[in-house]
Amino acid sequence: MVSACASDAGAAGIPYQELEAGVVKSGGDVSLELRGISKNYGRKSVLAEVSHTFTPGLTLLTGPSGAGKSTLLRMIATVEKPTRGDILWNGARLPAARGKLRTTLGYAPQAVDLPEDLTAREFAMHMAALKGLSLRAADKQFGAITDAIGLHADINNRIASFSGGMRRRLIFAQALLGARRVLALDEPTAELDAETARKLGALLLERARDAIVVMTTHLADELAPSAIAVLRVEAGMVAHSS
Amino acid sequence: MTTVMRSSLATSLARYRRSWGLWLLLLIAPIGARYMLPIDGTGVIIAIGNQLPEMTSPFLGVSLGIVVSTLMLPIAWLYLRSNTTRRQPWQIEEITPASRVAIALGRFGADVLVLLAMLAALTVAGWFLGWLLVPPRPFNLAEIAFALWLVAAPALMGLAALRVLFDARPLLRSGFGDFLYFVLWIASIAVPAATQGQSPSFATNMVDFAGFVTPLQYGAPGEPGDFAIGGADVEPGHVQLDVMAGLLSPGYIASRWAWAAIAVAIAALAGLIYRPHLTRRRRGKPGRLTTWLAAGPPPRAIADAPPARRASLAWLNLVGAEFKLIGSGRAFWLLAASIAVASALVDFRHMASPAALLLLAFALSAHAGRSEARGLLRLTKTAPFAPMARRAAFVAAGAGWTTLLALPALVRAPALDTLGLAVGTGAAAALIASALASVSGSAFAPRLVLLVLWYGYFSAP
Repeated sequence: MVSACASDAGAAGIPYQELEAGVVKSGGDVSLELRGISKNYGRKSVLAEVSHTFTPGLTLLTGPSGAGKSTLLRMIATVEKPTRGDILWNGARLPAARGKLRTTLGYAPQAVDLPEDLTAREFAMHMAALKGLSLRAADKQFGAITDAIGLHADINNRIASFSGGMRRRLIFAQALLGARRVLALDEPTAELDAETARKLGALLLERARDAIVVMTTHLADELAPSAIAVLRVEAGMVAHSS
Repeated sequence: MTTVMRSSLATSLARYRRSWGLWLLLLIAPIGARYMLPIDGTGVIIAIGNQLPEMTSPFLGVSLGIVVSTLMLPIAWLYLRSNTTRRQPWQIEEITPASRVAIALGRFGADVLVLLAMLAALTVAGWFLGWLLVPPRPFNLAEIAFALWLVAAPALMGLAALRVLFDARPLLRSGFGDFLYFVLWIASIAVPAATQGQSPSFATNMVDFAGFVTPLQYGAPGEPGDFAIGGADVEPGHVQLDVMAGLLSPGYIASRWAWAAIAVAIAALAGLIYRPHLTRRRRGKPGRLTTWLAAGPPPRAIADAPPARRASLAWLNLVGAEFKLIGSGRAFWLLAASIAVASALVDFRHMASPAALLLLAFALSAHAGRSEARGLLRLTKTAPFAPMARRAAFVAAGAGWTTLLALPALVRAPALDTLGLAVGTGAAAALIASALASVSGSAFAPRLVLLVLWYGYFSAP
């Protein structure tokens, strides 16, 4: 089933329009293309014939629960492969180009088994090392990111003591480490209060100037005015609205 | 209460039935028995005096009981402790008014049934092995089963009770619980030796939790005692051992029933002393030690910090990060420094190296477990370094830690043997921890296996 999507701003909620006037879009030299991708789990079809080219800027994935938004995001984040179709990074097909994409990819899934006995900072450095980043520089960047989203005071505390919202912010912060050109974010604003969600949104829009930012969100109405595209996923089909 | 107990038993059993590990457990017992049985001087030798006993049906049953005590008690603990029933929805369950005693007894019942199913598989395997090994001497299925179940069933019930008990208290749910189980298991095998040479009674048999000492020593010809299990040198010929006399000796059967009853009581006690998982609230200010052990305040944030650049030596960077995360926390550094200092003063092979490995058994398994958690792996897979590269870095970092702790010993007396031992033990321990954590997705399996291997390393000449 295909349905259209309106990208009008919601009346209530977070005033993103105040943060960013108009659509956040800039000239960028990167592209991520989905070419007719489908995903099946056994006999069940989750996504069918999805095609879209992502360019730098914010792209929102909306739609009801279970529609296939997170599956689409996982394929963009190279966690899953499509059953049919191709994903191209700067014109080169995955999986051949997967390594190159991963050097510049930041991914924040909805839920992660966070290492409870580590501090947030130790976990971030673990992720930075896996991303091949300089640990000293990553530590400074992590400090700046967590400062912007109100987590900095707790980065030396163990994750076991974190609330749901703090965990969500930590998952978000690790995705931003390094100079990411692609950010795949699954509901990064869930479980956050309005003020924190606003801070996080501001940071994202700043990143969207030169990076492809794809996110699923329940705050589509508030973010849509700043997005270059809103893809509504419903029953495995995708409708575009730019 | 009966409804809760029945429901707890049924749901636990349903989850066990859907676990592939159960089939593995049912297979390991017979396969382990085949390779551990004392067949013509091979396998684990059970010697009376300096000779092997004649293979009779009751002796085969007791031998299988020894397989349970030495091999299956740690393996079954691994299975029960890491199986799906342990991942209960406790957040919801703990706020219900259901009796914790009933829940504990239900889970204990399910654990016991699983372990007895394993024992049944071992019994059938024992019958088959008996058919091959016992003739031309009288071959009796009932005697094999009687001896095996009398020796092993109470020990397995005790294991199930400890599993439920160790899930009841926060401290015992942690790695400390695994370490304590390891100590108890070693003690259950070693302590009965204290009764060697004594006449059997209810009191002496109660010391023998594993249950194989009396059947071996009471039925021996001549003076009781003087038996060995393991790598003993044996002389040609066989000794006549009346195992049935040992099994029916004064106080033996009563002691086995007593252990079974104690197991049920421990399971009920687990329900009584159960403490919820909910995070404890600290009262008042943290103590000096807690403050010192904590990481301290974060450094000042630099708001305009640029995006982190790629490291020039990214792989070395990764090894360094793994090295730091293996040794995370000031408590680790304090213990590591003490061991390093000690390595300059004491025998390296028998004191410093085992101490370093014991510390690293916990540190390596903790870091391997957290890195291999399924949910985290889905995230780390999207990083440029593949999980296998991280595992290689982890092994290198493990070898780095043992080498670092051996440095004072090497400075005192430079020797290739010491260096080789340090690098080799660290790399091997890290490799085992990484492999087991990647299979199990947790720190638990590598921790227990490393502790068992550590004991072997520590006690080897």
